[in-house]
Amino acid sequence: TLCTMAALGSAKAALQVTEVLETILSRCLGPEGRQVLCTKPTGEVLISRSGGCLLEALHLEHPIARMVVACVSSHLRRTGDGAKTFIILLCHLLRGLHTVIDKEQDSLISKNIQTHRRHWKNCCQWKFISQALLTFQTQILDYIMDHYLSKHFLCRSSLELLLEAYFCGRVGRNNHYFISQLMCNYFFKCMACESGFEEVFDLVDDYFVELNVGVTGLPVSDSRIIAGLVLHRDFSVYCPADGDIRIVIVTETIQPLFSASASEFILNSEAQFQTSQFWIMEKTKAIVKHLQSQNVKLLLSSVKQPDLVTYYAGLNGISVVECLSPEEVSLIQRVMGLSPFILPQASSQYEICNTASVKFCKPLTLRSKRYVHLGLISTCSFVPHCIVLCGPVQGLVEQHEGALHGAFKMLRQLFKDLDLSYMIQTSDQNHTSSPLTYKDSRESNPLPEIVNGLIQRPYQGTVVKNKGNLAKTQTYLKVYSNLVVPSVELETCIPCSTPKVTPTDTYQTNETLRCLAPTKTRTIDDNEPFIESNSANSTAENTGIEISSENLQVTKIAGKGNMLPVREKSLEMCTSQSYCCSTLPAGCVLPVGGNFEILLHYYLLNYTRKCQQSEESVVSMIIANALLGIPQVLYKSKKGKYSFPQIYIRTLHALQTSQPIVSSQKGLESVAGKYQLLTSVLQCLTKILTIDLVINIRRQPREMYDQDSDEEV
Amino acid sequence: MSRLEAKKPSLCKSEPLTSEKVRATLCVLKGILTSSYGPSGRLKQVHNGLGGCVCTTSQSSALLSNLPVTHPILKILTTSTKNHVSCFSDCGLFTAILCCNLIENVQRTGLTPTTVIKLNQHLLRLCTNYLKSESCGCRIPVDFSSPQTLLCLVRSIVTSKPACMLTREETDHISALVLKAFLLTIPENTKDRLILGKSIIVPLKGHRVLDSTVFPGILIEVSEVQLMKILPIKKSNAFKVALFCASLSGDLSDTGEGTMVVSSGVSLENAVLEQLLNLGRQLVSDHVDLVMCQKVLHPSLKQFLSMHQVIAIDRVGVALMEPLSKVTGTQPIGSLGSISPSSYGSVKDLCPAKFGFKHFLHLIPNEATICSLLLCNRNDTAWDELKLTCQTALHVLQLTIKEPCVLLGGGCTETHLAAYIRHKTCNEPESILRDDGCTQTELQLLTEAFCRALESVAGSLEHDGGEVLTDMKYGHCWSSQAESPSVVNWPDWLSRCGCGLCNSQEELHWSFLKATQHPIAPQTCLPHEATGSSNNLTLDCFTAKLSGLQVAVETANLILDLSYVIEDKN
Repeated sequence: TLCTMAALGSAKAALQVTEVLETILSRCLGPEGRQVLCTKPTGEVLISRSGGCLLEALHLEHPIARMVVACVSSHLRRTGDGAKTFIILLCHLLRGLHTVIDKEQDSLISKNIQTHRRHWKNCCQWKFISQALLTFQTQILDYIMDHYLSKHFLCRSSLELLLEAYFCGRVGRNNHYFISQLMCNYFFKCMACESGFEEVFDLVDDYFVELNVGVTGLPVSDSRIIAGLVLHRDFSVYCPADGDIRIVIVTETIQPLFSASASEFILNSEAQFQTSQFWIMEKTKAIVKHLQSQNVKLLLSSVKQPDLVTYYAGLNGISVVECLSPEEVSLIQRVMGLSPFILPQASSQYEICNTASVKFCKPLTLRSKRYVHLGLISTCSFVPHCIVLCGPVQGLVEQHEGALHGAFKMLRQLFKDLDLSYMIQTSDQNHTSSPLTYKDSRESNPLPEIVNGLIQRPYQGTVVKNKGNLAKTQTYLKVYSNLVVPSVELETCIPCSTPKVTPTDTYQTNETLRCLAPTKTRTIDDNEPFIESNSANSTAENTGIEISSENLQVTKIAGKGNMLPVREKSLEMCTSQSYCCSTLPAGCVLPVGGNFEILLHYYLLNYTRKCQQSEESVVSMIIANALLGIPQVLYKSKKGKYSFPQIYIRTLHALQTSQPIVSSQKGLESVAGKYQLLTSVLQCLTKILTIDLVINIRRQPREMYDQDSDEEV
Repeated sequence: MSRLEAKKPSLCKSEPLTSEKVRATLCVLKGILTSSYGPSGRLKQVHNGLGGCVCTTSQSSALLSNLPVTHPILKILTTSTKNHVSCFSDCGLFTAILCCNLIENVQRTGLTPTTVIKLNQHLLRLCTNYLKSESCGCRIPVDFSSPQTLLCLVRSIVTSKPACMLTREETDHISALVLKAFLLTIPENTKDRLILGKSIIVPLKGHRVLDSTVFPGILIEVSEVQLMKILPIKKSNAFKVALFCASLSGDLSDTGEGTMVVSSGVSLENAVLEQLLNLGRQLVSDHVDLVMCQKVLHPSLKQFLSMHQVIAIDRVGVALMEPLSKVTGTQPIGSLGSISPSSYGSVKDLCPAKFGFKHFLHLIPNEATICSLLLCNRNDTAWDELKLTCQTALHVLQLTIKEPCVLLGGGCTETHLAAYIRHKTCNEPESILRDDGCTQTELQLLTEAFCRALESVAGSLEHDGGEVLTDMKYGHCWSSQAESPSVVNWPDWLSRCGCGLCNSQEELHWSFLKATQHPIAPQTCLPHEATGSSNNLTLDCFTAKLSGLQVAVETANLILDLSYVIEDKN
């Protein structure tokens, strides 16, 4: 068996495995995707469209498949999105590699070489390819992203459009609109102020389980948002209260016990026992009385309190909720800034008491199950709200929970800056091997003349200032020189003319957030057309709006000289002048429907044409072609004008003639997510290719003891 | 102990609904459900070959919980029905049958899942909007000033469960009892929020149904020996009650995580017993008449209390704690030490009662919203069915208080709704087709499938070979006797429609439900006081039916959307 495994080779096996996975997952991809039913050995039924869930449910046996699944899940842990795209992309990449290798083999390797040697030879080849992949991932990809793709990015994102697109791929078709609206409302209700939106994402992501309640047996449309926090348990004692309701949290039993852990209680007489019991009772009474005197109306406990405590609490008008989970306690602490009440050791000193106020505290009944409903008063920028998710079956409720959680992960990721870094050769000696040659840029030199004067000025300025960067600046201009729409040029030319780090953080957050509010969607729509306008004819009108808004910015720049652009990436030249760092600003998005893939495909193809090194160009070519696999699946069922070939040709034509790209879809998706997905896939592919042999053993798996550490000791 | 074992790979099947096996099992399930539907539904006897009792039923909750379903798709269908029933108690069969019908009909149309789901969603929205709107022709507001509508509602529920084996007289008796029990749970004076009490169903099997009664307060079952000890109960205006939630058995409470060392000669048992007796002394000096404990009372304490003419009842159980605390106005005591006087409660009267061979202690409250429904039926299975029925009826009444309206029963809502949907999609298709890329033909195909599914639910009410018809004016459902001649004068053969609101002597035209239906705008038929038609209506719970409709369509959509089934074989 060892030989057969070896002969198969890992890349071939990986292709077979991923092809099977692709057929399953591609049916769930995109807005037309369908649902999958998974049963668990316990008899539970799960409904899912999420790639991660499905891969896990399949319990794949093949070692390569298991490695792929591990890669996918580690990617999901970070980004919460893209498992299906991962597999499809990986499959296309492997397929592309195989066709290339097969071709080469046919021409190069003569038939008489032994199969065994051929295998090792293959492995060498795979190794080279995996190295080329690594170069691509570390250098070329970032370069292309930064230089070419970035001009298409939209930094103003509408939360609604983002979420709608996200849920299209995650929940059933009849529910995605409803769920995305629900999440949108939830987010805006939870956000105390615009500046605190990142904290909201973090908090909701961390405490997602505590912030939602699942109810089965009701239609999905009964799902709703309720203000305050719902604890997943009932009161042990409930005393109705209003006015100033103060709460305390305790993490141990209030009633003192006979003996603490690791101590001994020696009982010498019956009287002693009775006095101790009396003392315990009096002490408990005193603590509860003290709490009452502090106006405490609710006692939250992470442990079960003895009957005595609940009895006295009830007598003193204090409601009790017991057995809170550690997560619930830490959520309440974080939201209210309340630390647990430390029980006084000495008999009479309890002046310091950590209490906080709540607006209300009442029982809540959902489907004949009782919950505790607390109106927490928040001290941070998160205003606590809970989502009540309804569905006919538990499986569907869980699907919606998973999708909502994933959406928060995605947003959390989206509003973080993404660092890009790549090598760029600026010196003249190296120009032949640089991504774009100096010669090219010189040719492009006269071209800016046709661009209108507004842009020329800043451009001239930089040339004078940074002669050393001349080549680079010109490279930029080469790329954009034949653009017709002025607004796009403004966008792209400004950054390279200001070789200064932009303090983007504050600007960006304000900018993106303003667009988050649903009322602002109109302004966003107005700004979008420079990427997606309906037809070439209307371009002039649409860009007209765009220019007017942009002109303002430009005149400012012209006037002040080095006024910083508001929504542009910063570009930093390091001391060596060959290492380039750049940031993909937070909140960058692209329209959905394979836009990212087609754009990257186009620019990669362009790049390979100019590239001299054969390995790099082969790899880039393979990646460029594999990227098309995603839109192919997305548009599979569409016909006519919206079929994939038509869209592909239209987009390519638009790119070649520098016209705005027409997109048929409204939804948006995160660029950072796509970028991370591509790098994860490439890493996974590199991993697969570096394996030359799969050794099959049959033995009971041993427990993973850390033997090394034992030896060290 | 954990065992490391490699997991078996799962089984993945594509397009599960196209499989012949799945279709066949769905068909069998549908057969079981439709044949049990309605007042004339056939009973099912579920018995386990390995033992246990035989269950005779026609209710969805009993049927589905006893029916083992293995295929995941059927599991989705049955769990969604069960979940609906646990929320609303009623309309389980309606939900399940409608869901089966939808799946079957939609599959026949051959439309793509995308189109089907979009359009189903639109049609569902049309239905719910119509049912919620003021102009709805199949909804009747509930008049709380007269019990007539509520009584009709309860009677409809009781008659729709034939496995209770009730005669007409018994049906009326049970319906009236249930309504009375419900009314006793409504507090007399409420401030802002209405908090309903509870009706406790007390079993008494092997007796005549007509012996069933309802009492305010709580019946606690006690053994005859115990009762003899208690008797005679001294007469008093009010009885002081103490209710313990802590155990009074003399066991040592939690001593902490450390160790406890007891010197020789020290008897903890004596110490604890001494404490209990002290407690007893306090109870006696506080003039408590009745002591009840959720857990166990120590025999010595019991003895001590009875010596002082205090009635002691233990092992009450956690289920009765809340009603008891409500009836007596006590606060459950969790302390063996000093008891605050505010924890005591009282009852107005305390009397022994004997029903059949069972002895009870009857706690009569001053004013409380707790009542006991003593339910009798001839045998175990019939009693179980009757209990479920009464619970359903009580729950439905609670739901009706929240949403004070009812829907027409007897299939009239379904046929009326189908007529409305047909009319709407035929005359205003633009409103639906506007935003989706669906064609008018697709809409018509799906509307037909949807309306047929609704109408077949109404048609499933007929089990005796009669014809099911619908009239062309109100869109109500009519069913004729079996073996009516092919060409007949319909007004003579039909007397009233399914819900009992329309009379056949009106100028109406009928068509067979199975025949092609032409779109009509269904009119509202109002109850006429003069004709007395409002006294004997068949009604359905509004909330339960509305939610059932939504759940059925959502579940059907979900099942139709499945492209794979992955079965974990571990």
